[in-house]
Amino acid sequence: MIRQIAYREILENFLSLRFALSLLLTTCLFAVCGYVFVIDYQGQSKDYWKKMNENLAALRKQSSALYQVAFYQQGIYSRPQPLAMCAEGQAKALPNFFEVNAFTADLPKTKGRVNFALPQFNSVDWALIISLILSFAALVFTYDIICGEKEVGTLRLMLASTIPRYKVLLGKYLGAMVTLAIPLIIGMLVSLIIIISSKDVAIDGGKWIKILAIMVVSLLYLSIFVLLGMFVSSRTGHSANSMAILLLVWVASVILLPSFCRIIFDVAYIESTEQELQRRLREASDEIWNNHEKYGKNAGSMSNNLSDPINNPPARARLQNAIMDAKNQILQEHHSRWLEQALARRDFASVSPAVIYQRACEAIAGTGINRCADLYGQVKRYGADLKEFVRSRDMEDPESLHLIGPERNMASSWRAISHNPVDFDTVPKFQERDLALGESLKLAIWDIGLLVLFNLVFFAASFVSFLRYDVR
Amino acid sequence: MIWKIAKKEFLLNLMTFKFAVGAVACIVLTAVFMPILAADYQQRLGTYNRNVGDNETELRNVKVYRSITHTIYRPPAVLSAFSAGMEKQMVGNAKIELDKVPELSVTQRKGNPYLPIFAVFDESLIFKIIISILALLVAYDVISGEREQGTLKLMLSGATARHQVLLGKIMAGLVTLCVPVAITFVIGLVILISFPMVALSGSDWVRIGLMFVASIAFTLIMYQLGLLFSCLTRRSAISMVLGLFVWIIFAIVIPNASVQLATQIRPLESEEKRDGRMLSLKNDLARELGDIKVDFSSSLITSDEGDVFGGYYAKRRDIYWLHAEQKLNSLDIPVKLRYADKFWELEHSNLNSFFGQRTLANRLSRISPISIYENVIAILAGTDLTSFQDFINQVKIHRNEVVGYIRSRTDNFSSASFFAVCTEEESAEYTKLYLQKEKAGDEQAKARAEQALKEWELENPVKAVSLNLQDFPWFKYRPTLAGDLEKAIPDLVMLAIANVVLFAASFVAFLRYDVR
Repeated sequence: MIRQIAYREILENFLSLRFALSLLLTTCLFAVCGYVFVIDYQGQSKDYWKKMNENLAALRKQSSALYQVAFYQQGIYSRPQPLAMCAEGQAKALPNFFEVNAFTADLPKTKGRVNFALPQFNSVDWALIISLILSFAALVFTYDIICGEKEVGTLRLMLASTIPRYKVLLGKYLGAMVTLAIPLIIGMLVSLIIIISSKDVAIDGGKWIKILAIMVVSLLYLSIFVLLGMFVSSRTGHSANSMAILLLVWVASVILLPSFCRIIFDVAYIESTEQELQRRLREASDEIWNNHEKYGKNAGSMSNNLSDPINNPPARARLQNAIMDAKNQILQEHHSRWLEQALARRDFASVSPAVIYQRACEAIAGTGINRCADLYGQVKRYGADLKEFVRSRDMEDPESLHLIGPERNMASSWRAISHNPVDFDTVPKFQERDLALGESLKLAIWDIGLLVLFNLVFFAASFVSFLRYDVR
Repeated sequence: MIWKIAKKEFLLNLMTFKFAVGAVACIVLTAVFMPILAADYQQRLGTYNRNVGDNETELRNVKVYRSITHTIYRPPAVLSAFSAGMEKQMVGNAKIELDKVPELSVTQRKGNPYLPIFAVFDESLIFKIIISILALLVAYDVISGEREQGTLKLMLSGATARHQVLLGKIMAGLVTLCVPVAITFVIGLVILISFPMVALSGSDWVRIGLMFVASIAFTLIMYQLGLLFSCLTRRSAISMVLGLFVWIIFAIVIPNASVQLATQIRPLESEEKRDGRMLSLKNDLARELGDIKVDFSSSLITSDEGDVFGGYYAKRRDIYWLHAEQKLNSLDIPVKLRYADKFWELEHSNLNSFFGQRTLANRLSRISPISIYENVIAILAGTDLTSFQDFINQVKIHRNEVVGYIRSRTDNFSSASFFAVCTEEESAEYTKLYLQKEKAGDEQAKARAEQALKEWELENPVKAVSLNLQDFPWFKYRPTLAGDLEKAIPDLVMLAIANVVLFAASFVAFLRYDVR
């Protein structure tokens, strides 16, 4: 019986104007999204490879001496992501440039030509289309699902027979979900076909699974709105009233709430400033300088003359390393505070299901803030690898003093680090790794849980309301 | 008859659930967010006042003409609570320098790069979203709903003409929607004025009045859109669905897509290219400055002192150095002035590529009345791009005046007062005495010369007095009401045209409407 009701509901929807309109609108948007993405992606990856090759070429030049490899400031850009089409996560405005050498990695920066004069620079991606347009369509499909039938009088007829109420409700829910899934799937397919036919964007096995996961999450998200529509529809007597309430709820939760939460958060949160960072860096280095005797006799001597008896190279290297460690520690803390603030701000806004959904999509697609932070971690690990490489190579050189320290002067004029040429092929190079599927699902698991929770709450609510619904 | 219909309709509308929900939402949002916005404005105004005060005190203490490098600040727009516009995206100050022409710049966010999105909220958002939906909801069943109930048949069976019915309905919609619009404005203004630092001038009230008119015109467009769909369809459900889809296209699809399209049509020039041109210009400047050779080898005494704005001035120098420096300044300042214009051209074209994208996006988005409305309000509030451009143009004129002032005061940058507090005569005397001391043959003569120098120094202490800035061209920012109105006219006219067109369309549709 459930299937019969669902079937009837689907057929009725297919013939309706709202179905035609939402199908048309979403298909167009998905097509535009795919097309724009392909053009953007081509430009971005051309840029990316050009810059990465420039960086490698410069690094190759440094390989004439080991110490130069250690000190060369490498510029690493974040790679354009094929799945940014699904959820870009403001990738264009997030930091995308990392500078690293064997001793330290600078804080992430935003480089490139972002036009901050534009009113909003989030692209049209799947997450946006689904979270705004399709969630709206879900309400348009369901606002009269119960009260509309009551107004027409068919609800009474239906319930006059032996069909239990929960079957009617489930049938209608299934019908609405199937009708909604059709524009969603057609849109996604159109978008994917455009992307695949361009041949520039490579989508492999793992990515297909991620796309599938995004689709499931999208259905989960849309189901919230279907259930919300059914709930409100079974609480009101007139479909006009139900539409008014639903519109208000939709505008509040999808459009207004996220930006309100951001404003309130920004008003309340005091961020740690650049000056504070500089002050802490200065204090840390002063502290070490003041206690320089701790690192050995004459550790604080800055004489550049090797034969000067006042110099104590090992102590000086220890001192410099200690300063660099302290600096790295402070940068790390500052970075995690940044991240904490950004994540807290987003979590604060996650009263809205749209924010939860976008966060889940970003996590699965491997874009957004978490990916930036992950990339920064990778860059730092790479710096550590490079240092290890320099250390092991340095051991092979009998002329070197084997003092791996961040003072370039010591390394260049004293041979504190070997000056021997190295084989460029053996120098570790930075390779960006994507998050594995398991990891990204782990990031998204809370959000998926929240979406399921929303679903359950609204299902229970609509179930109870429909059981008590006055069909007259 | 029109009035009767309008009155009946108005009273009916007031009692509806949707009207109550919409009105309450407007009131609550205004009451919650206006204090935040007003406090934010007050804080920005405080910063602005402090900056301007500090700047002026420092400027009044300036010792030499070279150090006149003050900063001009743009006062925050008091009406930014109604439309945030670009208030937070643009830098509202510019430095006056001899070797740089002031230009606008986009705020580069310092601090946390993980928070790239500015959270923007203003009063116009309430109109753009809530009141526009409310207008559609009020209008969707005006005709088709009455047909469904059968009352339309009754109404038209009397002597009432169709146009009277339609006009009555539009009238009723206008009056109904005026209520939440007026309430929102009044509450917003009351809260805004209740803040002690907020002061509204006469021109601000004119702007507010026009904003109100624009809001009403915009709301009427949305209402007439709903009315048109209501006249075109036989069932109110369908007219509502149509209206809502058009709304989502206007409110979400078009603003997003126009930005997207603008970035595709007008791509930005690559950073490397621009940096390359900047570098070559810098090299040219360095070469030309390098060609200017002035002999400083015979200078004797160095004694400088820090001036305001991080500059410094020469306190007591020998005449040789003074002459050399005079010559150097008279030669290289004109070169720097010339290059300042060239650098500005580059900077300006770069900025124009940013603003070009935005302007194009704005033009494209004008298909949607919501975007037109947003634009009008930003212009009237004085927070749109053109008001910033207006500001920087005034600053540019001010800089030219300052350059002219310094030029006339320092005899084309060649007088000593450009960089030193000592006069030529003093310097010549000082050099003579100094040289006597240095070249003295025996101890006795040296002691005598030293004594003479000391006495002279006692008689002529360093006169580090501040410049007399009596006829200095002080800057006064004049936001021009007339100019802003002129800029707002095209959009206001577009709003009016949209109203007329929609009215004509619904009139035709209603004349042909089948009332059965």
